[in-house]
Amino acid sequence: MEAGLSTKNAPSVWVVVPHFLLGAVGLLTASVFSVIHYEDFLGYNITPEMLTITHLMILGWVILVIFGALYQLIPVVMEVKIYSEKLAYATLVVMVVGVFFLIAGFLKFDSKFTHNMAMGGTFIIIAVLLFAINTLKSAAASPKKSISRLYIIASGLYLLLNVSLGLFMVMNMSYNWLPIAHTQFLKTHLVVGLAGWFLMLIIGVAARLMPMFLIVHKVREDLLVKGFYLINTGVILAFILAWIPNYPTVLFGVALLFVLAGVLLFLWFNYDVFSKRMRKKLDSGMKPTAIAISILALSVLAFIAVYIGDDVFGLPAGRLEILAGLLMIYGFFTGLIFGQTYKTLPFIIWLFYYQKVVGKQKTPLPGQMYNSKLVDVHTYSFVISILLFIVGLLFSVKYAVLAATIVMLFTSAVYAINASKMIFHKKQTK
Amino acid sequence: MIQTEFSAEEQKVLDVLKQVPDPEVEVNIVDLGLIYVVTKNDDAKTIEVDMTLSTPGCPVGDAIMQHVQTILEVNFPGYEVKVNLVWEPQWTSDLISEEGRAQLNQ
Repeated sequence: MEAGLSTKNAPSVWVVVPHFLLGAVGLLTASVFSVIHYEDFLGYNITPEMLTITHLMILGWVILVIFGALYQLIPVVMEVKIYSEKLAYATLVVMVVGVFFLIAGFLKFDSKFTHNMAMGGTFIIIAVLLFAINTLKSAAASPKKSISRLYIIASGLYLLLNVSLGLFMVMNMSYNWLPIAHTQFLKTHLVVGLAGWFLMLIIGVAARLMPMFLIVHKVREDLLVKGFYLINTGVILAFILAWIPNYPTVLFGVALLFVLAGVLLFLWFNYDVFSKRMRKKLDSGMKPTAIAISILALSVLAFIAVYIGDDVFGLPAGRLEILAGLLMIYGFFTGLIFGQTYKTLPFIIWLFYYQKVVGKQKTPLPGQMYNSKLVDVHTYSFVISILLFIVGLLFSVKYAVLAATIVMLFTSAVYAINASKMIFHKKQTK
Repeated sequence: MIQTEFSAEEQKVLDVLKQVPDPEVEVNIVDLGLIYVVTKNDDAKTIEVDMTLSTPGCPVGDAIMQHVQTILEVNFPGYEVKVNLVWEPQWTSDLISEEGRAQLNQ
């Protein structure tokens, strides 16, 4: 029997699984903080608890799981083995230590507040650099020249650029090398991070996986090619603007419009794939994914509203920023991870336990390694929590926000239970 | 090449292969159209299968091929089984049988 191209590229189960386990812990912790400090969602002051929640959500949950999932998905998308598993382990350790110190810094566990934050930040920057090296080295070795690969390479380069920009920002605050407002750099830092890295990474992976999971051929790749140019133009323009003192703000709006046009083409691509899909019934992994993509559209609307201004809508200052950020981080990224967990985690665990015994013994299928009813439960509760957040934030209803955080905690707990069911799976053969 | 006519003996091989599911879509590989050619030679006691995967990056590809190899060895003792992975013609969803399409949406 000839070996296939695929499984031999798959990473060790021990590389991928700890990311999901620690990510679930990060999400649960952020959810607990959200319930306790729910009133902070309605305020505009950046409290240490709010910093803890956002950084746990982004670093301790979204990025951690994206790292783990990417180690499994890069071989699928680019038909190449991950460059270095040892580097992947090192990245995880450095990242977790960094997040711990950063949170400790925010919560002032000791008097060395800034010391912990700086140390945590340094560790996180190193982890991100290591991840970027691993991704770019893997992409360089890939025989597959595709639009997915192009998006992933670009996202890796933007990640390096953004880390450098972040370092420059910190240094400029201390040494005043350039007389440019810190907020001007911060805006570009957010665009390069969210659009340049996150979005391009997700589009690159989704471009390959969505048609694969839904069984679609003849996809509209031209939409992704145009989107690639548009997003790049927007991100590069935003990066250039950061260095020009007092540029006309409309130019930043133009940069955002380019990114927005690219996102709309990505949404169009997904709509096209969904409408052509042979697999009409959405499985446990695709239901939350479809919901997450719909929330991305909502999030885009919220970001447009942010640009128009809170006061135009009669909302307190900063309320729309919080809503847009929440829809992006908790709505889109978290929903996407919920769905893609069921498309990645059971498979790598299934291969670990059953690859050598298939055909010889009766084995469960990957889809039988988690409880699909629990997936439905946390998908519905996820949608309810999003709706409660929207109502609570737009109409300043304190108890709706409290309810939203409680349902968010419930959602995270149910997800963690199902993830644990896969992670601690006991081998079953007959 | 994709074989369209099967002898009674080759059909027996296909019937056995219908027990092999694609772990992702949970539809058997015969109805998914992944089996291109089946050759059963009773004199030489050999079975040769040409099969493909829905995508070269399929993470469970080797496991599916291992399943094909093992299930044929178990069901046809004494036969030498050879499973070849082929990429031409490229698999498309048009190769899924009516039965497979129905199973996809159950």
